[in-house]
Amino acid sequence: MNSGIDLQGTFIESLQDLGLTPGLAKLLWMPLPMGLMLIGATIGVLIAVWLERKISAAVQQRIGPEYAGPLGVLQPVADGIKLVFKEDVIPAKSDPWLFTIGPAIVVIPVFLSYLIVPFGEKISITDINVGIFLWIALSSIAPIGLLMSGYASNNKYSLLGGLRAAAQSISYEIPLALAVLAVVMMSNSLSTIDIVEQQSGYGILGWNIWRQPVGFIIFWIAALAECERLPFDLPEAEEELVAGYQTEYSGMKFALFYLGSYVNLVLSALVFAVLYLGGWESIIPIENLGALFGISENAPWLQVIDGALGITMTLIKAYFLVFTAILLRWTVPRVRIDQLLNLGWKFMLPVALVNLLLTAALKLTFPFAFGG
Amino acid sequence: MFNVLKQVTDYAKESLQAAKYIGQGLSVTFDHMQRRPVTVQYPYEKVIPSERYRGRIHYEFDKCIACEVCVRVCPINLPVVDWEFDKKSKKKKLNHYSIDFGVCIFCGNCVEYCPTNCLSMTEEYELSSFDRHELNYDNVALGRLPYKVTQDPMVTPMRELAYLPKGVLDPHDLPAGAQRAGRHPEDIAEELRAAQAKEEESKEEKVN
Repeated sequence: MNSGIDLQGTFIESLQDLGLTPGLAKLLWMPLPMGLMLIGATIGVLIAVWLERKISAAVQQRIGPEYAGPLGVLQPVADGIKLVFKEDVIPAKSDPWLFTIGPAIVVIPVFLSYLIVPFGEKISITDINVGIFLWIALSSIAPIGLLMSGYASNNKYSLLGGLRAAAQSISYEIPLALAVLAVVMMSNSLSTIDIVEQQSGYGILGWNIWRQPVGFIIFWIAALAECERLPFDLPEAEEELVAGYQTEYSGMKFALFYLGSYVNLVLSALVFAVLYLGGWESIIPIENLGALFGISENAPWLQVIDGALGITMTLIKAYFLVFTAILLRWTVPRVRIDQLLNLGWKFMLPVALVNLLLTAALKLTFPFAFGG
Repeated sequence: MFNVLKQVTDYAKESLQAAKYIGQGLSVTFDHMQRRPVTVQYPYEKVIPSERYRGRIHYEFDKCIACEVCVRVCPINLPVVDWEFDKKSKKKKLNHYSIDFGVCIFCGNCVEYCPTNCLSMTEEYELSSFDRHELNYDNVALGRLPYKVTQDPMVTPMRELAYLPKGVLDPHDLPAGAQRAGRHPEDIAEELRAAQAKEEESKEEKVN
């Protein structure tokens, strides 16, 4: 395999040529991917919010946002600015510390999880060998924040919403983890880059969706539940709980919850694309195309195109999944809390376990196809 | 043993059926996405009210004979008719007339029963105000004619569904001179008049 573009290596090398020590050069490099991650995640959210509003409008035969920028693309920015300027109310009988920390605890792990999302062989913030495990671990911090803010609001709706959020997150974490485990078992690695590598080479035929059709569905249902998207949006069910744990929040703190939920949606879609839809891989294997036209894999321009294509493919797959989530929102009604827990514990958990055992058995019998 | 197997197959069948129904639902929502929005972008676009629209009531002071029929037929006796008996001419002299549109339900009974046709319904429906007392229209305000949607240069008038050509559901971008579906009332009236004339002619012939 070729090494691809190594931005970090070249950046540090060029700084070292200027006479800096390797340690200082690395220190200068470090804030760049972090800032990029924050900006990228925020822009991803703005696009997701705009898509949500536009697609929802189209499904209901409305027009949706139209006047803020061309086709209303600046509407989420306008929403954000509005929320920044709103008064930040802390209810009189609430616990001000927990009330303030709650939203932060919800948002920070979600942003941190972006560290492990790869957009290309070398285009990721970090390649740690516990990548996907880090994502699962971080996503289980969010319910603590939700429960915290629900409890600190000193409001019955908030408390109920927070409790529901915690119950939901805990019960859907298990099938989610089991579905991920089956994929991990096939690729013999927890690293997201290794998981994509294992799917590469055969274009669309090599993607995990064909080898893990059950895991694919379980993961998507569990991810929707984790994101509190519509069939499972019980924690903020407006007909019953006003707005759940968000009831007492306004201004920037509410904006954090809002941002967090959409960042989580985009993140889930990205992880989903990485696990099941071959990450940055194109539908047709691009390495073979290069060989077909007699171009060297190491040609710089090919690598630039390859990198750009990788980012585009990942984003296309992720936003396709965001689209299905939005369409599902207007298709299926909300489940009741007992139905939600029934589905989680009595259906998803056994099916995910069987799927895991089946994957293990298939791996032993057909090691060539299931990553022996 | 077989009972358990049956339960498992039934459960699997039910799950598949649920998945099928969700798929059908998704195809419905996806189909709706490609349809044109039905939005009329008020206040830049407005629907033209139909001829029978029951909007704000118009009133002609000079035609009114202060008979108070409008008050009697009103479900809540709303119109205020302020008159006094003029002994010289031995006639009622009308001083003031007012209707409070904050209370009016626009049933049109007063218009229906007015013996001198001094009441009529307009197509005005934009009656919002900051103070509800502003909605109490006196005879001067009642005598004003509303601005027509079709004559407003700021507004693109949109036709209602019943006034669109056959098979068209969207009032946007209609070709010029597109006629509405079915026969026009004035044509039907013309036909009826002709038929009536013919009948009378034949009657006259019979008499002769």
